[in-house]
Amino acid sequence: MTTDDMLLEVRGLKKHFPIRTGLMRRVTGMVKAVDGINFHIRKGETLGLVGESGCGKSTAGRAILRLHEPTAGEVIFNDPVLGKIDVTQADRETMMKLRPNMQIIFQDPFTSLNPRLTVGQIVGEPLEIQHRAKGTELSDRVAELLQEVGIRPENMTRYPHAFSGGQRQRIGIARALALNPSLIICDEPVSALDVSIQAQVLNLLDELQAKYGMAYLFVGHDLSVIEHISDRVAVMYVGYIVEMAKTDKLYFSPKHPYTEALLNAIPKADPRLRTRPERLQGDVPSPANPPSGCYFHPRCRYAKDICSVERPPLTDIGDEHFVACHFARELSLTGVQPLSDIKLQMPPARSV
Amino acid sequence: MTTESPSINLTSHDDVVRVEDLKVSFYTQLGVVRALNGVSFNIPRGRVLGIVGESGCGKSITGLSIMQLVVAAGRTEGGRILFREDAGQEPPVNILDYGKNSPEMRKIRGNNISMIFQEPMSSLNPCYTVGNQIEEAILLHQTNDKTEAHKRAVEVLTKVGMPNPSRIAGSYPHELSGGMRQRAMIAMALSCNPTLLIADEPTTALDVTTEAQILDLMRGLQSEIGTSIMFITHNMGVVAQMCDEVAVMYMGRVVERATVDDIFYEPRHPYTISLLQSIPRLGRTKGRLASIEGSVPDPYSTTPGCSFHPRCPVAIKGLCDTIVPEETIVDAAKGHTVRCHLNS
Ligand SMILES: Nc1ncnc2c1ncn2[C@@H]1O[C@H](COP(=O)(O)OP(=O)(O)OP(=O)(O)O)[C@@H](O)[C@H]1O
Ligand SMILES: Nc1ncnc2c1ncn2[C@@H]1O[C@H](COP(=O)(O)OP(=O)(O)OP(=O)(O)O)[C@@H](O)[C@H]1O
Ligand code: SF4
Ligand code: SF4
Ligand SMILES: [Mg+2]
Ligand SMILES: [Mg+2]
Repeated sequence: MTTDDMLLEVRGLKKHFPIRTGLMRRVTGMVKAVDGINFHIRKGETLGLVGESGCGKSTAGRAILRLHEPTAGEVIFNDPVLGKIDVTQADRETMMKLRPNMQIIFQDPFTSLNPRLTVGQIVGEPLEIQHRAKGTELSDRVAELLQEVGIRPENMTRYPHAFSGGQRQRIGIARALALNPSLIICDEPVSALDVSIQAQVLNLLDELQAKYGMAYLFVGHDLSVIEHISDRVAVMYVGYIVEMAKTDKLYFSPKHPYTEALLNAIPKADPRLRTRPERLQGDVPSPANPPSGCYFHPRCRYAKDICSVERPPLTDIGDEHFVACHFARELSLTGVQPLSDIKLQMPPARSV
Repeated sequence: MTTESPSINLTSHDDVVRVEDLKVSFYTQLGVVRALNGVSFNIPRGRVLGIVGESGCGKSITGLSIMQLVVAAGRTEGGRILFREDAGQEPPVNILDYGKNSPEMRKIRGNNISMIFQEPMSSLNPCYTVGNQIEEAILLHQTNDKTEAHKRAVEVLTKVGMPNPSRIAGSYPHELSGGMRQRAMIAMALSCNPTLLIADEPTTALDVTTEAQILDLMRGLQSEIGTSIMFITHNMGVVAQMCDEVAVMYMGRVVERATVDDIFYEPRHPYTISLLQSIPRLGRTKGRLASIEGSVPDPYSTTPGCSFHPRCPVAIKGLCDTIVPEETIVDAAKGHTVRCHLNS
């Protein structure tokens, strides 16, 4: 395989936010929201990114697109026209050319669409900005995009408030699709939706990927959803990726103690499989004041002396299984047990 | 005596609460929302009843009705909520006979039934320390002794697993993490050792590891104090792990009620079946998910017949779109009932 199927390589990416206090708004500290992460995404692939609230998932997604200016690191994007470019160093003009290929869908379907624009304007805006289409060509393309995500094109002139959460999320997806991107960052696109609607949106994302071959960075916290959608999964803890592997590997044979704790805490949707997960002690540390050494050491039941002193780097232990733990090769950890397959049948249809 | 609906006579347990044919509507400028369209279910003493269903189906309003805390725009237009503080108490009290702010109702809210609200921030007062707020609840209902109240406040904070209870007691809500705030809420709800705890999505805003802690905590309290719990959630994993019985709601009605095992293994209502088929199952989830077509119904419209018929894959033309299915018994011994023409 050539390296050319590599779409995105993130190296040592950091995003620190200054903490300002007092009248002079002096910088008194730093929130290390993203603190040196490394990962890659291949063309057409889905990488899931999970971790507890506040661990830096959204910040990472935004820093890649430079919606937040990164503090350090490289983001190498393989643009179909321009080739490999470090996004963090790109000038304005280059950014203009890169943007269409890197899109984002946000979590909240209720605030992420401009309420003053019609659905047609929302979906058509990126096409106009990039001078890709105008007039009837534009409205044809918008109609086509809406159709693609299951919204009737007649709805083009309506405003976002007239749509349900799931429909708004579809509109956001249509907008992200408009410019045929090769990467879409999906920041919790289904977290705010009902389960029944969540399934529709997940299926839609799957179908679009099969059809257009774009890659997804899929940020989420529901580990069952992440497992369903991802080819590979990266687990983040306090601004740092602690484990990354193919989905099955990560779920069935995790190598990082934090991943193990996360997997064991998933409430299993089977009343005959009741588990009492081992309690993780303590709370998630603040990214403004993280612990020394391995950030997980105050809560880790396998921690040894070295863990509070030295931070373990993210290391490939074979077959693209990356782990940041001093004892990744020694520990034997438990993954998930596949749930039993409960076969449910609709009652047969009948007439009166 | 009024006749009681079938689900109610079925269970052999003593029920803490029986809700019968409860109807609540909101009169708004945009129209009428029939939030509860005749909700009936029972909560057996000492058990955990899960309430599941789509956003807007009436889960929170059901909980708030039991507390008589529905805002003024919401009118109770029928039904009864029978409450028995003690096992075998006859006759039970009908909560709806009391005024919202009557002394009886306040006593019930302070001593018997507690609620953990969906949004923790909206129910903790940002201007007072967590300790103060719990003490106040204790002073109102249990003791007049301030030092005793403080002692008990720290006790309940310890019970909910706060790492440093006396420090937490002195903290303001905004100084706590989401999980700690949620635990503070739970501590407050438990400070009176309630007979019934109504938990409205108590873990939805939390991470899985914190969620697991809170669930563990609630199970512990249930087994120690014998509290009955009405657990509102839309997470089927949480239902499977926490609940003994489940009531599935759709558009203001309970459409199926059964033991947790039957809900997962022998569901009868097409909505329950669709719901279960649409969640990714851990460890075996590739391929297309079954999804419920159509969208969540508009609250201002009323659907004739079975309210699920526009989305139901097996709806019967000429019947489901005109006649509301009655609640029918699937299994009397286990208290399994369903509202669907295919099952009657
Ligand atoms: N603009 C900002 N200024 C200062 N701090 C910020 C800013 N944005 C995020 N943070 C902090 O950075 C950390 C990471 O936040 P981020 O939103 O990336 O987390 P997340 O993993 O997406 O969490 P969630 O699951 O809750 O969405 C948090 O501690 C947050 O408070
Ligand atoms: N104050 C109000 N004014 C008007 N309608 C209301 C009000 N409160 C609730 N409703 C309506 O009553 C119905 C039931 O609401 P409820 O809050 O019980 O839903 P829910 O099942 O708890 O949903 P969720 O899962 O989103 O919390 C909804 O259609 C809602 O729009
Ligand atoms: S490095 Fe040490 S503390 Fe960190 S996860 Fe591994 S064993 Fe635990
Ligand atoms: S009553 Fe009819 S429409 Fe309703 S769930 Fe049963 S089959 Fe479907
Ligand atoms: Mg986020
Ligand atoms: Mg609610």
